[in-house]
Amino acid sequence: MDWDWDFTFETVLPRMWEAAGVTIWATVISFLLALVGGLILMLLKTHRSPWVSRPATEVIEFIRATPLLVQIFFLFFLLPEIGITLPPLTTGILAIGIYNSALCAEVYRAGFQAVPKGQWEACIALNMSTYRTYRDVIIPQSLPPIVPALGNYLVAIFKETPLLSFVAVAEIMQISKLIGAEYYRFTEAVTIAGIFFLVMSLVAAFLIRIVENYVKRSILH
Amino acid sequence: MTHPMIQFDKVLKAYGALQVLKDLDFSVDKGEVVSIIGPSGSGKTTVLRVLMTLEGIQGGTMYVDGEPLNKMNVDGQLVDASKAHIRRIRSKIGMVFQNFNLFPHMTALENCNESPIFTQGKSKAEATEESMRLLDTVGLADKANHYPSQLSGGQQQRVAIARTLAMHPEILLFDEPTSALDPEMVGEVLEVIRNLAESGNYTMLLVTHQMGFAREVSDRVCFFDGGFMVEQGQPNDLFGNPQNERLKQFLSKVLEAG
Repeated sequence: MDWDWDFTFETVLPRMWEAAGVTIWATVISFLLALVGGLILMLLKTHRSPWVSRPATEVIEFIRATPLLVQIFFLFFLLPEIGITLPPLTTGILAIGIYNSALCAEVYRAGFQAVPKGQWEACIALNMSTYRTYRDVIIPQSLPPIVPALGNYLVAIFKETPLLSFVAVAEIMQISKLIGAEYYRFTEAVTIAGIFFLVMSLVAAFLIRIVENYVKRSILH
Repeated sequence: MTHPMIQFDKVLKAYGALQVLKDLDFSVDKGEVVSIIGPSGSGKTTVLRVLMTLEGIQGGTMYVDGEPLNKMNVDGQLVDASKAHIRRIRSKIGMVFQNFNLFPHMTALENCNESPIFTQGKSKAEATEESMRLLDTVGLADKANHYPSQLSGGQQQRVAIARTLAMHPEILLFDEPTSALDPEMVGEVLEVIRNLAESGNYTMLLVTHQMGFAREVSDRVCFFDGGFMVEQGQPNDLFGNPQNERLKQFLSKVLEAG
């Protein structure tokens, strides 16, 4: 195995640099989608009316039971069939966001259920609205268990983004494959992609721990 | 026209096949202080829980201040109440829990302010002034900025009472308010409840194991057993001259235990 430093600095890194931006962008937007989508799915799933909760439960099960790659292909090839043509990156972000919404819904549900029943009852006795109950009482108290779990999904989503290379999104894995194919040299590009994921995962884990500690300190006195 | 403040009309509460309240008829007049006693599983706490709408009922109607709670009047017909109707009627009821159920991430003052500000739309200054006054009446003005975890059980329960009063309820429900307390803290909480009872401002329903206290503060005591109200009367009659056999047994047991 030989390593070409000139090739690494002059050809690989500049192109990878741009691709890294795409990967981070895809991760952040997918994660935000999953955070909001997961909360919505959870609220639908725990809705009092079975006409709402049953379909939501089925949708969550369906999403969880099929591989993400299949869902990415599904959206990529089937959305145009029904007249919706989106750029590959948008389709990919949508797929990852939806897939992780279903997973995050369970995190929220577990977190909310961990709030003692007496807290819900106090909200009823104080005649609080559903909105205020969640916003002021339930969500703040469920954050300490929810935040670390959601942080894990942030890292998981980050590591799922290479799947977008299957639909030719110019993220870091796709670019390293392209560089390899162009120059018949895979060593540098693939290694740098790996190091990039390693470093970013460690940074993300570090940041999550800071947020986690902050939440614990500000909520549990 | 006078009507009871609280009225249960053939209220049925069941968990599956287990009937906890069996066609309960029961009423409390405005300003009356009523204690409910009975063995565990008698349905006494359930009376409070269904009235607070923490749990649904399977039959019958509950009235608060003459208006149906779990039903509402639509074109002369009683239909199942909407959420908005329940919230409107429920605003007259406050409840103090056995385990306090304070919000642990809020200070004593924030606990008291929450509902007045966000449910009743008071300004923060107005709510704070009132909450501080209430915390003062329960003897905890100096603990306003403490979190529940920094307070003793007795102090937490007194904050919970102040929080309930801040909503200006007409009806106060106490669900075994001293059962979770260490013995030396029972007195301070009973003292607060006694003052509320003597003020005459509230219709009070108290589920308790403190027989001496029930006898002292109540206008009427009700004995529940097996989902029925078996006997009721003025405290001196009920404790001094019980008629029902099960009430006699119950009293001899609890009085023996001290």
